[in-house]
Amino acid sequence: MLADITQTFLDGLMVGGLYTSVAIGITLVFGILGVLNFAHGQMVMLGAYVAFFCVSAGWGFAPAILAAMASMALFAVVLERVIFRRVANDHMAGLTVSLGLIMIIENVAAAAFSPNPRTIDAPFPGTIEIAGLNLPAQRFVVLVIVAFLVGAFYLFLKKTRWGKAVRAVGQSRTGAALVGLRTDRVGAVVFALGSAMAGAAGAMYASLFSINPYMAGEPLMKGFILTVLGGLGSVPGAVAAGVLLGLAESFGSRYLSASFRDGYGFILMIVCLLCFPQGLFGARGKARV
Amino acid sequence: MKARARNLIALVGAPLFWGAIVLLAGVPYFVGSRFLIYLGTLIAIEAALATSLNLIVGYAGQFALAHAAFFGFGAYAASILVATYGVNFWLATLIALALAAVIAALIGYPALRYTGGIHFALLTFAFGELARLLAANWNDMTGGPMGLRVGFSLPPLAGIDLSSTRAMYGVALSIFVISLVAVAVLIRSRFGRALVAIREDETLAAFLGINVLGHKLLAFISSAVLAALAGTFYAPFMSFISPELLNAQEVIALIGILIVGGVGTLPGPVIGTLIFFGLPEFFHVARLYRLVSLGVVIVLVVLFMPKGIAGEARARFRVKR
Repeated sequence: MLADITQTFLDGLMVGGLYTSVAIGITLVFGILGVLNFAHGQMVMLGAYVAFFCVSAGWGFAPAILAAMASMALFAVVLERVIFRRVANDHMAGLTVSLGLIMIIENVAAAAFSPNPRTIDAPFPGTIEIAGLNLPAQRFVVLVIVAFLVGAFYLFLKKTRWGKAVRAVGQSRTGAALVGLRTDRVGAVVFALGSAMAGAAGAMYASLFSINPYMAGEPLMKGFILTVLGGLGSVPGAVAAGVLLGLAESFGSRYLSASFRDGYGFILMIVCLLCFPQGLFGARGKARV
Repeated sequence: MKARARNLIALVGAPLFWGAIVLLAGVPYFVGSRFLIYLGTLIAIEAALATSLNLIVGYAGQFALAHAAFFGFGAYAASILVATYGVNFWLATLIALALAAVIAALIGYPALRYTGGIHFALLTFAFGELARLLAANWNDMTGGPMGLRVGFSLPPLAGIDLSSTRAMYGVALSIFVISLVAVAVLIRSRFGRALVAIREDETLAAFLGINVLGHKLLAFISSAVLAALAGTFYAPFMSFISPELLNAQEVIALIGILIVGGVGTLPGPVIGTLIFFGLPEFFHVARLYRLVSLGVVIVLVVLFMPKGIAGEARARFRVKR
């Protein structure tokens, strides 16, 4: 019984971590650029394909993750320059543009990669035994990588000069510009980092599940739920909400009903909107809508 | 001189446009080609959907991204009620519409309490995905990802036989007209003016004594019910429905139609539908190219012509007094 609960707990942490790495990009880009990027899910999908092709070409899993992160960061910089910078802080225009991007990316990807699902062999097969628990090794590795990435990102925001700049722009765009920050550059950096996280999440999706060009909807939906739960624009909120949602899903599907798995997050989101209008961590009036 | 020409265009522009639409709608009747009737029915349903979506997106300014979910809900609810429970089709339609209204109220209330519409966009998008997953995974009820074969045709109404494709086209046209008239009447009423006030400035509207939440909620429910209405008739028309109906791409296509045609104008949704469904279907353009070019056009229009075709025309040819 205890072993079962621990296993479900670790599983929830892993899934929640994956959701978190998607949500960080959404919530930060919204906080900095004022754009709700619906095409963020496509970054996960493209990252998964980059990882798939790297692993298929005989590279290891670690280079594949790095390649997915680097290529998505590059892609994001181009998108930010060409499109998103023009619609910054216009909620509706930004949202609509990103919807158009979904159409383009998803259908071009379906044509280029074929709509058939693909899988890669788990880079770390087998199980690890810790204190009498049998954990699938790949899931454990993903949990560690996600924890590392989210932690590193958090340290970046809290401890570095660039992180300070990002937080400053998030608090007040005008104020940040007045003290001499290049807000457009900060926007580009945030966009690139968020997309790199999404690319890494995609690579880890590919190592666990089968991938296809239409896979973006689910991570995007979970990312949105975390964004609302954690408070729009709040990174610690997204992390906490990710853990909460992961645990709710894994315990819910283990002990209540597995077929309703995707519904738990939605119910959490409705309850949160009714009872915690600012999200779990947005109590300082962070919801800027 | 130039101003006078502009005034003339502004005066006759709208009647000319709607006259052309009526002529266009009559073409399939007189030509009698099966393909044209099929195409006309598709366009009429799509235009009805775009028109009803325009009420909440264009006039109330709230980004509702669950329109395909309500459309699909109408289609599934009516077919399941008729096929599994043996309910009469017209009664099934009424039940489906009532259920759609209840669902819209349940989702709309928590999300519309916030100003700005970002929460609403997030929640409706998540709801759309949830509905699609439900349609794809609830095998006993919905037939799962393989879809549902709909074996019935429309029963006669008031003695008129509605089972032929020609009659189906007439039904689809009337759904479009119902949506158009409903939206036209609503936006010209006190209710519609309040919606526009809310779109322009929610805080100011609240100061003027407008019940902001109530108006937004009512607009959302109306548009959801109209979408479900189009859905209930879509099922017997296509005789096959699948979770594809609820795909996020369908919502994006509708939003694209509104943006290109002109958000918050009556002719906008019709123009957008004709461009995005009429032209490609007529010339048999492959689905892939249609969707990719739709995406490209959405991006370009938002960046360079945010008012859309109808909005641009209205701004250019305005009656100057």
